[in-house]
Amino acid sequence: MKITINNQNFVLHPCGAAFWEEKKILLVSDLHLGKVSHFRKHGMAIPEKAVHENFNRLNNILKLFDVETIIFLGDLFHSKINNEWNLFSDWTKTITQQVVLVEGNHDIISKKNYTDLNIQMYSEFIIDDFLLTHHPIERENFFNFCGHIHPGIKLKGPGKQFLTLSCFFRKPNQMIFPAFGEFTGNFYLIPEENDKVYALAKGEIIEITN
Amino acid sequence: MNREELYAIAENWFQDQGWKAFPFQTQTWTAFLQGKNGLLNAPTGSGKTYALWFPIVLDYMKKNPDYKTKHKPGLKAIWITPLRALSVEIKQAADRVVHDLDTQMTVGIRSGDTSQSERTKQSKKMPDLLVTTPESLQLLLASKEFAKTFANCSAIVVDEWHELLGTKRGVQMELALSRLKTVAPKMRIWGISATIGNLELAQQVLLGPNSEAYQNSVLIKAHINKKIKVLSILPDKMDSYPWRGHMGLHLIDEVAKIVRKSKTTLIFTNVRSACEMWFQAILEKYPEFAGDMAMHHGSISRETRLWVENAIRNEDLKVVVCTSSLDLGVDFAPVETIIQVGGPKGVARFLQRAGRSGHQPGKESLIYFLATHAIELIEASALKKAVAKTIVEDRIPYLNSWDVLVQYLNTLAVSDGFFPNEIFEEVKQTFCYQNITKENWNWILNFITNGSQSLQAYDEFKKVEIEENGRFKINSRLIAMHHRMQIGTIVGDASLNVKFLSGGYIGNIEEWFASKLQPGDVFTFAGKRLELYRVKNMQVLVRKADPKKESRTVSWMGGRMALSVQMSELLREELYAANSENLTPELKALQPIFERQRKESIVPDADEFLIETFKTREGYHAVFYLFEGRFVHEALASILSYRISLLSPITFSLAYNDYGFELLSDQEIDMQSVFDNNLFSTEYVHHDLQKSLNLTEMARRKFRDIAVIAGLVFTGMPGRPVKTKHLQSGSQLLFEVFRDYEPDNLLLQQAYSETFEHQLEEGRLIQALERVNQQTIVWKQCKKPTPFSFPIITDRLREKLSSETLAERIKKMTASYMK
Repeated sequence: MKITINNQNFVLHPCGAAFWEEKKILLVSDLHLGKVSHFRKHGMAIPEKAVHENFNRLNNILKLFDVETIIFLGDLFHSKINNEWNLFSDWTKTITQQVVLVEGNHDIISKKNYTDLNIQMYSEFIIDDFLLTHHPIERENFFNFCGHIHPGIKLKGPGKQFLTLSCFFRKPNQMIFPAFGEFTGNFYLIPEENDKVYALAKGEIIEITN
Repeated sequence: MNREELYAIAENWFQDQGWKAFPFQTQTWTAFLQGKNGLLNAPTGSGKTYALWFPIVLDYMKKNPDYKTKHKPGLKAIWITPLRALSVEIKQAADRVVHDLDTQMTVGIRSGDTSQSERTKQSKKMPDLLVTTPESLQLLLASKEFAKTFANCSAIVVDEWHELLGTKRGVQMELALSRLKTVAPKMRIWGISATIGNLELAQQVLLGPNSEAYQNSVLIKAHINKKIKVLSILPDKMDSYPWRGHMGLHLIDEVAKIVRKSKTTLIFTNVRSACEMWFQAILEKYPEFAGDMAMHHGSISRETRLWVENAIRNEDLKVVVCTSSLDLGVDFAPVETIIQVGGPKGVARFLQRAGRSGHQPGKESLIYFLATHAIELIEASALKKAVAKTIVEDRIPYLNSWDVLVQYLNTLAVSDGFFPNEIFEEVKQTFCYQNITKENWNWILNFITNGSQSLQAYDEFKKVEIEENGRFKINSRLIAMHHRMQIGTIVGDASLNVKFLSGGYIGNIEEWFASKLQPGDVFTFAGKRLELYRVKNMQVLVRKADPKKESRTVSWMGGRMALSVQMSELLREELYAANSENLTPELKALQPIFERQRKESIVPDADEFLIETFKTREGYHAVFYLFEGRFVHEALASILSYRISLLSPITFSLAYNDYGFELLSDQEIDMQSVFDNNLFSTEYVHHDLQKSLNLTEMARRKFRDIAVIAGLVFTGMPGRPVKTKHLQSGSQLLFEVFRDYEPDNLLLQQAYSETFEHQLEEGRLIQALERVNQQTIVWKQCKKPTPFSFPIITDRLREKLSSETLAERIKKMTASYMK
């Protein structure tokens, strides 16, 4: 699904990433790499196949668009360093795009790890009138892209029916990205009048209209 | 000393108390002293503790003739009780025996309440007789050199075995016994059980089918018949009876009358929230009871509960509102009357509760049944018949509970480690794992060592390590500590402690309830109105609330029970009797409701299967009345909605109770095509169940407990929850990850098989469908909801099933968002 913000075009993909056509940037938030391995290291047998899924999905999406830069909107790595970092580092060597990380609260491992992989790090990142952060921020004259919250919505329908979905949550001057990572939960938001919700619905993006 | 002399000692003791030993007691003594194992079927308050403490002590005296002067140290016997609260009474009984017989033996308790210093003392020097819980026994197995501790133990007694049988704690017990048989070869194994339908099976499960222990065992029955009188509380005017609702507060005046007449009354409710509400309601309407009234349920702090129990014994209380937490053990002589609020769903539970009153020998137990809504009165009528005919249910033991096995193997690995071949043979001897294959076993071993079935180079999974000599062992102290912590938490939602800001522990509430509260909100808990200050570090900090502020009552998830086979059969019989001349007082009282029902629809006969359809603001309702119990209805609703959804895209929301089930949709259901396509067929039941979405939902719920038991979810350390935040995850999320990436995982599959066997009861389901196929279908198109349908359609706990695409559904749903 294609949307326009401040005369720029963005393609929202049902896996939870967005492609900025004019700038050839892929925006992704809250991967939480290393979470599965962290659990396993502590004796909790979460299926290790889930580890690879994040990279498979990233690769798939890179095939779809002509991406020059990948920007992670924070919480790229979930916890302390573990072997999943090596998988990530191997992966970065297979791709040609520049990688940028906007730091999040979970990104606690040493910056050196990132700079060694030639990843640029910023606490916030400004492109034209767009402000990219991890935590949602309101700043005058800027449109904010952010993550952190893992937004989702709950829907209610006739016949006592309910549905819950992850979503891109768009406010007048902000868009909160869904968590891209496997094995992450949702926080459910309630849209207000001028908010827009783009739900991730099994292979397609559906705008929820009130 | 020979047996006669020993008996003389015991008989003399009984005479000194002014008692005479019952035949079941002397039978148990004989069997025990002959070295036999066994199951003793005896109710609470019958002297069952003396039936087993005596031979244990006598056996010691026999082996140590100079017992009066010389004390031989070391553990002699273990008494397992499922409830910590009971351990004090059991210890007291044992203390009396060892003291009066001059044996110098010591008695100790080891449970979750035992202080660390006491435990350390015990590990250095075990008491002769140890009273403990299944969890604490597991923890003993998780300690170093446990084999030495048990080596000379001569007996283990599992009290209230019927309570453990049919639960995973029972499986835990089976496994512990399988190990103890090897470690303490001279140990006699005894169980004590109340009356259940399958006592012989209970004996087999305890001792292990085909085991030597089982060959050398007896079943002893106490044959104590208690007279029970059942009365229904009926209002003067039936018009005021609500069609639904589950509180029954409209009968509060009748309840007050009963309470006034009797010395002490216990009011049993089925759930904790009802308990809280009744307590409040009585307090508000009858403030004069304030000083003589208390509440007792599983989430209230232990101190309060103990205080209540003592107060009952000392006749300080006139009325206690309680839940199943007072079902078990503890004799309360002063209790004269029981009031059961709402259907108890099973005969055995009803009898157990009735037995809480009239404890003196020869006295009659008196129980009042308070139906919370009109239709429940039919249950009352059915219960009376059940009591008269003494029909009781079976307890179905678990099979192949892989989660418990994983936990057990980790336990052994935490202690001295284990050798798989030795343990496999032991595990195979248990009832639960009698059919375990080598493949299953290897899978489990892989799971605890690799965390998966194949070893990946980069993977850092760490739990059980295989040492050079082939011993499986946990060496990480942190992992060992996590595991010990997990052992006690075999069931239960994440719960938060409720504390006053000024200090003082009140009890615990479930996390999901706490999450609905905002600071400043007022809620009623443990009979107090509390204002939430904040939730921090797994603690709910509160202060006393302004009494004028509106408050909500704490509620707890789960605990919904379904009618047993026996009860649903009785219920149907009673209902069919409604069309006859032969009416019980309850059915007579229900006449006005039956008339309303007949105006819109019918009251079905034995050969009729009633279906009602009608439209309300909510959509199109179709209600099916099978009277088979909640679980069967859940499954049938699932199958039928799935089959209808194959005919054309449609979305349902499903609701069910013990009488029937409802399919609700925004489209009209084509009932004619349901009949034409023979959708009640018994063919492909298993297949259709598996296909229906609802099964996934049910399995997801089962998986929650499985994940906790198998150690996939870490529930945190008491008092230090923050540090472990990184290791917490929702079991919902876990379920999805397993389903997507490891569909053949045994633990995941267990979630499904438990759903089939313990929740859906496939066998019962097919029988129900067969019955339906012999009945005449009566389809009533009603103008509005009927009295029968009301309790079902107003149920808010619902499942969904859909064959529409997500996009189609979202289109219809955009109408409203929800919190």
